[in-house]
Amino acid sequence: MLEIQNLHATVGGTEILKGLTLSVPAGQVHAIMGPNGAGKSTLSYVLTGREGYEVTDGTVTLDGEDLLALEPDQRAAKGVFLSFQYPIEIPGVPGLTFLRTALNAQKKARGEDEVSAPEFLKRAREVAKSLKIDFDMLKRPLNVGFSGGEKKRMEIFQMAMLSPRFLILDETDSGLDIDALKVVADGVNALRSPDRSMLIITHYQRLLDYIKPDQVHVLAAGRIAASGGPELAHQLEAEGYDKYAA
Amino acid sequence: MAAVKKTVDQVKALEAYEHGFVTDIETEFAPKGLTSDTVRYISAKKDEPEWMLQWRLEAFERWLALDEPEWANVHYPKIDFQDAYYYAAPKEKVGPKSLDEVDPQLLETYKKLGIPLREQEVLLGVQGAPKYAVDAVFDSVSVVTTFKKELAAVGVIFCPMSEAIRDHADLVRQYMGSVVPVSDNYYACLNSAVFSDGSFVYVPPGVRCPMELSTYFRINAAQSGQFERTLIIADKGAYVSYLEGCTAPMRDENQLHAAVVELVALDDAEIKYSTVQNWFPGDPVTGKGGIYNFVTKRADCRGDRAKVSWTQVETGSAITWKYPSCILRGDGSSGEFYSIAVTNGHQQADTGTKMIHLGRDTKSRIIAKGISAGASSNTYRGLVSTNHKAANARNFTQCDSLLIGKTCAAHTVPYIEARNATAHFEHEATTTRLSEDQLFYAQQRGLSKEDAVALLVNGFVREVLQELPMEFAVEAQKLVAISLEGSVG
Amino acid sequence: MSLSRALETGDLAELPSRRDEDWRWSDLRGLIRAIPPASPDASARGEGPFAAVCSETMLVINGGSARIHLAAGEKKTIALRLISRAEGTSHSADVAVTVAEGAELTLLESHESFGAGYITDVEMDITLGASAVLERVVVATEAADAIAVTLARVGIGAGSKFAQTTLAIGAKRQRIETRLAHPGAGAAVRLDGVYLVGEKRHTDLTSTVTHKGEGGTTDQLTKGAVAGQGRGVFQGRITVERGADKTDAKMGHHALILDDRGEVDSKPELLIFADDVACAHGNTVGQLDEQAIFYARQRGMTLAEARALLTEAFIGEVIDRIEHDGARDVARTWASEKLRGLT
Repeated sequence: MLEIQNLHATVGGTEILKGLTLSVPAGQVHAIMGPNGAGKSTLSYVLTGREGYEVTDGTVTLDGEDLLALEPDQRAAKGVFLSFQYPIEIPGVPGLTFLRTALNAQKKARGEDEVSAPEFLKRAREVAKSLKIDFDMLKRPLNVGFSGGEKKRMEIFQMAMLSPRFLILDETDSGLDIDALKVVADGVNALRSPDRSMLIITHYQRLLDYIKPDQVHVLAAGRIAASGGPELAHQLEAEGYDKYAA
Repeated sequence: MAAVKKTVDQVKALEAYEHGFVTDIETEFAPKGLTSDTVRYISAKKDEPEWMLQWRLEAFERWLALDEPEWANVHYPKIDFQDAYYYAAPKEKVGPKSLDEVDPQLLETYKKLGIPLREQEVLLGVQGAPKYAVDAVFDSVSVVTTFKKELAAVGVIFCPMSEAIRDHADLVRQYMGSVVPVSDNYYACLNSAVFSDGSFVYVPPGVRCPMELSTYFRINAAQSGQFERTLIIADKGAYVSYLEGCTAPMRDENQLHAAVVELVALDDAEIKYSTVQNWFPGDPVTGKGGIYNFVTKRADCRGDRAKVSWTQVETGSAITWKYPSCILRGDGSSGEFYSIAVTNGHQQADTGTKMIHLGRDTKSRIIAKGISAGASSNTYRGLVSTNHKAANARNFTQCDSLLIGKTCAAHTVPYIEARNATAHFEHEATTTRLSEDQLFYAQQRGLSKEDAVALLVNGFVREVLQELPMEFAVEAQKLVAISLEGSVG
Repeated sequence: MSLSRALETGDLAELPSRRDEDWRWSDLRGLIRAIPPASPDASARGEGPFAAVCSETMLVINGGSARIHLAAGEKKTIALRLISRAEGTSHSADVAVTVAEGAELTLLESHESFGAGYITDVEMDITLGASAVLERVVVATEAADAIAVTLARVGIGAGSKFAQTTLAIGAKRQRIETRLAHPGAGAAVRLDGVYLVGEKRHTDLTSTVTHKGEGGTTDQLTKGAVAGQGRGVFQGRITVERGADKTDAKMGHHALILDDRGEVDSKPELLIFADDVACAHGNTVGQLDEQAIFYARQRGMTLAEARALLTEAFIGEVIDRIEHDGARDVARTWASEKLRGLT
């Protein structure tokens, strides 16, 4: 599904990713772990096309299609979804309005029919219920005044509603207590399917107890420094990242 | 807490205006009044070259055609420009060769003002203490400049303006009036005609000035105005930090101070300009006397990535009319303005800044703290502007006013002119009184009301004090406390 | 000195110029070279933007007078249509609105244009008795080459409530000014504005609020978006006079410049002569939050969609404060239509 070859990227003139190569086959969940400053968040922004993150070398393809040539919204329409580490507050735009606008924009880009309002609301109610989100919260301006946990749940809610193909979860567990973590993990696990892949970016192994990865990679100094099975995460938890220090 | 205690002790130990003494010294005056002959007199007194005299006369002609500005939020009886002396100098010959030639009474005056005029005094200070080169201006003339040799060794020129006109004419002719044009405004134009002295600084390319430079201005003679002119040029990659301090004796009549300060920063240069202004504010009860402070200060960030930072602590003067500004011409240049303005008694201050964004990627920052007490009036007036071409201009402005007492006034008048889609300007302002909750809290923990006020005011102005060189920050903190003495019942 | 004096006397020297501090960004003297002839009588056209939400309508066409009076305890919603159906002529209107003690009025005011190149001047005197309530919603849609000046002088009683939302798209020169004398005394004022200015249009929303007595509140929020060579001017002055303690006043002005030739000038002033007050103003000029745009695009919106949605939300914050449900809907539809024209 996702192929990253020799990816180099700079932020403000400083090279952060220095030849990253990674392959995530369809249906798999891969975890990226690494010390602070290793380039984890940079990777998530490069994959989604944020301005200011400049790719200087390498390729990224999704099912063989060049992702780097696309605008952020075009990538979203192809099914790339980023659950933000710090979800953005958008005053004045109710969550449902925001999401419906986004969903229809994606459908339009893919040449599909727009979803009708009743259909959309019905589905939103179901998904909100499964994620234990109070439906009234969705009528409030998106993320404004929400707690850290509520914001993360809103990310998973949007993820479920947009049904992306390739999911990037950037430090989704930060700011969540154990109950919220379980709700979020259940939501993510419900989305696992043979034609969907996930990249879970995390500093701690905790989240991986709830969302079992097929593979774990260590990102250090802008490269994949080691790869292994789920046991690698436990090893990192016990030993720390010292031996991968640049 | 120790610092507060110290401040409070100092406040108690001092008179309301501690610099209010008069130095009894023989003074030479120009004939009273202002005509082209006065201008010629001043120029002749200073042995100026012909080009300088012509420059002054032209300025005088233009001044006659200008009107006194009335837009500021200050009120005062019409100034009779014919009823003042435009030149006053200690009768000792101008420009002594060394400290030994300076009238001992003058040195005594500066000692009372706490200026480290004598190098040895500075050198006797704590080991590793920073050195300050000082230019002292007494009424109309510069009397002594210290550390000249040491500065000359690295190519820094620091001398009285009158000397620069003679010895560095090329630099003066190139830069004087290039930031503040002769007829920029009424007072600047007057200054251009009759300016007496001031300081001149040139820092050559790549040189970091090895010490703080400072000038102390003192108005001593009665009915005399002071019209100094300062010009500071930081050549490419140079750095200089400059501080001016001002005092005047207590007098019943109003004295005029109309200075012009021009700063030029070329590519990658940085100038830090700090002012501690403590001119006599007038009688706190009757409002009689005090200095009329009409000053034009402007910096031109002429080069790319040039940086100018203005910091001012304004506690004195009956009237303050002053807007230290930055023209951000060079790409990537930046300007800062940090201000504390304290008014008490019948003082009126209308002060602020202008940040004019002309180059690309220019940044400015304004932090202004106004404190009004007594029957005073304190206005922040500022302009932030950008033209169509100044892409990515950024400004942040914070202005806060603190009111102490029922009869004072605090005003905030910001002007914002944004003319392109990439400009990003942010302005916040608050006006509050000293919090009774905070006062009570501090008193409950054992502070007297005055101590509590000093503590809270220090907190209010801290952000700006931090921008001053350490020694002056302590002095400024003291001044703020003194200025507010007796403002709470 | 004012446009109305100039129209009345024919004396161009009566026109305010950029040399007058309060008109520095909205010069009239340099713009009007001669006083045009008076506009002819005309009849109304259309039914105005508020027809669907209001049963009583007053018409002022090409100048004239109107009187609106609510007796004590009365409650009404009235549409006031100020129509300019003129080509190159000038007209003045004066309107008096009195809302007696305890009465409640919703005044839905539209400035409508069916012409070009005209000069229109409106002077209003609004008086609220004790505990009276007035919500004034103004939708001003002038011709691109018109000169339009509106001045409302507002006096309000103790415990009264005055709320105003002005929505404007500018003209060759447009100024909508409100001068309010605030008695304190538990009275509450809301003064809001929206400007959406494109092409070469200019608009100036100016207000002065003078708190004269103890215990009053003023809450002001103006937002604008400027495109093309449009120019938005906001001047707000809050004065708290000596003795007007316990005043709580806040003023916000936030603008977006959408094109490089657009201009926003603002002057939010606080003049405070009393110490027991809480006054604040915030002013920003800039662009939409880039993070929010990226976030919306990551979820699939195109850049244009993301901008439109966020701009509408930005302006929507002011419109949401309109209390009259029908008027709020009208204002929202009007604003989103005008915004689409800008972006």
